[in-house]
Amino acid sequence: MRISRRTFAAVAAAALFLPLSACGSGDDGGGSTDASGKIEGDITFQTWNLRANFKPYFEGLVSGFEKKYPGTHVKWIDQPAEGYADKISADAAGGTLPDVVNVSPDLVAPLAKAGLALDLDKTAAKYKPEYLEGAWASHQIPGLSGTYAFPWYLNTGPMFYNKSLFKKAGLDPEQPPKTYDDLFTDALQMAQQSHGKVATLANVPTIEDFGRYGAELMNKEGTGFAFNDAKGVELLTKYKELYDAKALDPQALTATPESTGKKFLTQAVAMNPGSALDLGNFKKNAPGLYKNIGITDQITSTGHVNMYVMGVMVNSRTKHTAASVAFAHYVTDAENQMSFAKQVAIFPSTAGSLDDPYFTKEDGTDETRVRIAAAKSLKNAVNYTPVLFSEQMKTALRNEVAKALQGKESPKAALDNAVKASDQLLKQQG
Amino acid sequence: MANLTVRSRVRRQLPTSPWLFAAPGLLVTGVFVLYPFVSTLVNSFTDRRTLIPGRFVGLANYRELLHDDMFWTGLRNSTLYVLGVVPALVILPLLLALLVQKNIPGITFFRSAFYTPVVASIVVVGLIWVWLLDERGLVNSLLEAVGAGRVGFLSDQWLLLLSAMAVTVWKGLGYYMIIYLAALANVPRELHEAAAVDGAGAVRRFVTVTVPAVRSTMVLVAALASVSAFKVFSEVYLMAGPAGGPAGEDTTLVMLVQRTGTGLTGRVGYASALSVVVFVVTVGLMLLVLRADRRDEA
Repeated sequence: MRISRRTFAAVAAAALFLPLSACGSGDDGGGSTDASGKIEGDITFQTWNLRANFKPYFEGLVSGFEKKYPGTHVKWIDQPAEGYADKISADAAGGTLPDVVNVSPDLVAPLAKAGLALDLDKTAAKYKPEYLEGAWASHQIPGLSGTYAFPWYLNTGPMFYNKSLFKKAGLDPEQPPKTYDDLFTDALQMAQQSHGKVATLANVPTIEDFGRYGAELMNKEGTGFAFNDAKGVELLTKYKELYDAKALDPQALTATPESTGKKFLTQAVAMNPGSALDLGNFKKNAPGLYKNIGITDQITSTGHVNMYVMGVMVNSRTKHTAASVAFAHYVTDAENQMSFAKQVAIFPSTAGSLDDPYFTKEDGTDETRVRIAAAKSLKNAVNYTPVLFSEQMKTALRNEVAKALQGKESPKAALDNAVKASDQLLKQQG
Repeated sequence: MANLTVRSRVRRQLPTSPWLFAAPGLLVTGVFVLYPFVSTLVNSFTDRRTLIPGRFVGLANYRELLHDDMFWTGLRNSTLYVLGVVPALVILPLLLALLVQKNIPGITFFRSAFYTPVVASIVVVGLIWVWLLDERGLVNSLLEAVGAGRVGFLSDQWLLLLSAMAVTVWKGLGYYMIIYLAALANVPRELHEAAAVDGAGAVRRFVTVTVPAVRSTMVLVAALASVSAFKVFSEVYLMAGPAGGPAGEDTTLVMLVQRTGTGLTGRVGYASALSVVVFVVTVGLMLLVLRADRRDEA
């Protein structure tokens, strides 16, 4: 078979320009925004690394929904924690995003911008009063009107500290630092007394640390970042002092939350943020540490601790909008959130749930003490991480912070550069 | 008559037959190699993002590369990786192959032992080395015990890069050793014997007999090692972390592609331009090695 030059040219041109077709305006594939229809149909629900530990809970949740709404069928899929954003982006780009998806605010922002997340203010506004005001607002995106996910569970946690290391450094183990000034003073003393062998902190400051310290993270319009203000520079300057004195772990520049957790577990660092979930881990994997564990509140200059919010988003292109919205609401309603909270150390985002005796009554155990303290602080907690702060921006900030700590740039110059890079990325996000 | 018909049909079908036989392979190559390649090339001229369709931006991505500090950091680190790893992976496996080539009792165990890192998962290998080189790991404990003090293998940008190179070399030794063993098996024993009779010692025999005999294999190893070293990702990612070491100073080009182009806010267009640069440099490296070989032969 001879291939004519014309055929060859046509094939080559198709190969060259076919990919361009993917660059055209995306066909919206047409889901309905009307959630008032009959609740029926087959939908898919995706969670974020929850199958391993909570399989029976979710199977019960799904069967409960299917019983409540005959004619519905929910296929539950779970994705591992690692690469979750990549999995969602591949599904979103390939048009295979599940109908109902477990998301965090920073994940929902690009999906909402691409028109893939259903605006709940339009389709499910009646459910809004069921949730804490701040939690409902956590999935609103600057520059877009609307709310793009049901708030699901919240989490926050105390600071854990190692009483034994505090004692060895000549610090009062019953008087952990309550303010940033106390923290910096104690950390320097710890480093001095241990000859630089024990650091107090093992993480470089992240965007939420700047927020908790009182820096303005974004301008009012949400069009640019502002954490290079005086407060931001002050925090980074303090961290530089800690780094130089080895009060901040030398490996902090390359640390991950997992590696710092391990360092705290092996008693190489004296303080680490965590949640009630960690107590079980300490008890099981580091009994020596557990005996000496101290628990104190998150340090904040703003009066608001940081909280993490999980959400449940509805794919705007679902073919079963009514069933998807109903299921997303069902997963996040007060009863099911409360039931989930009793399985694991998370906190419901539904109004009034945090007043349940489960979150208010002491029973003398550390777990309950942490739970009650966290529930109390959640009532006025803030999700400091701006929803538009992408992974690329986090990396840019982290790299600039590292340059400041190494002395390659002044804290002011480093933060100016980080803000500039983040603004540039924000602009490119559109 | 019937035979004639069959024969003529066969003759008629002959010109298409090769294409039919090649079709499955061509299809797989087209879908999984050619299409992604062309797609990457086209994307590199757009501002496409993960979820937002792109517009044609001409050479803007390539111009941006030139002003991107992280691109130059990546290019520097990937080049250093080639310079650090390739000579070691050309010489050390050859010496190792010479060592295990000898038929002495128990040598099979050592051959297998040297090959084990090749089959081990890179993630497992990376984690083990991270534990070993940690501030409180085995290596630092030993150094401290002998009074040398702790070394920041995982906190200093250059030591981190060197540590990752060491892991790449350690993991690749067995693979290239096998290639050399096959080449050494073809070196006539008489050449060594003749050289020995002429009074050549072990080093002299290595330089004048072994090296020339396996020279083409050395070129092959250099080419393979250069390409994989320039495209290094796993070792550095595992040891330096997703951010690429302190201040991202250990980022390699492929890490930069991954960091820039993935996730919901990934800049697919820009990452594609980076990938094209990686491709061009890789092809350039191959050509350079092959050209050097040809010049030596001439």
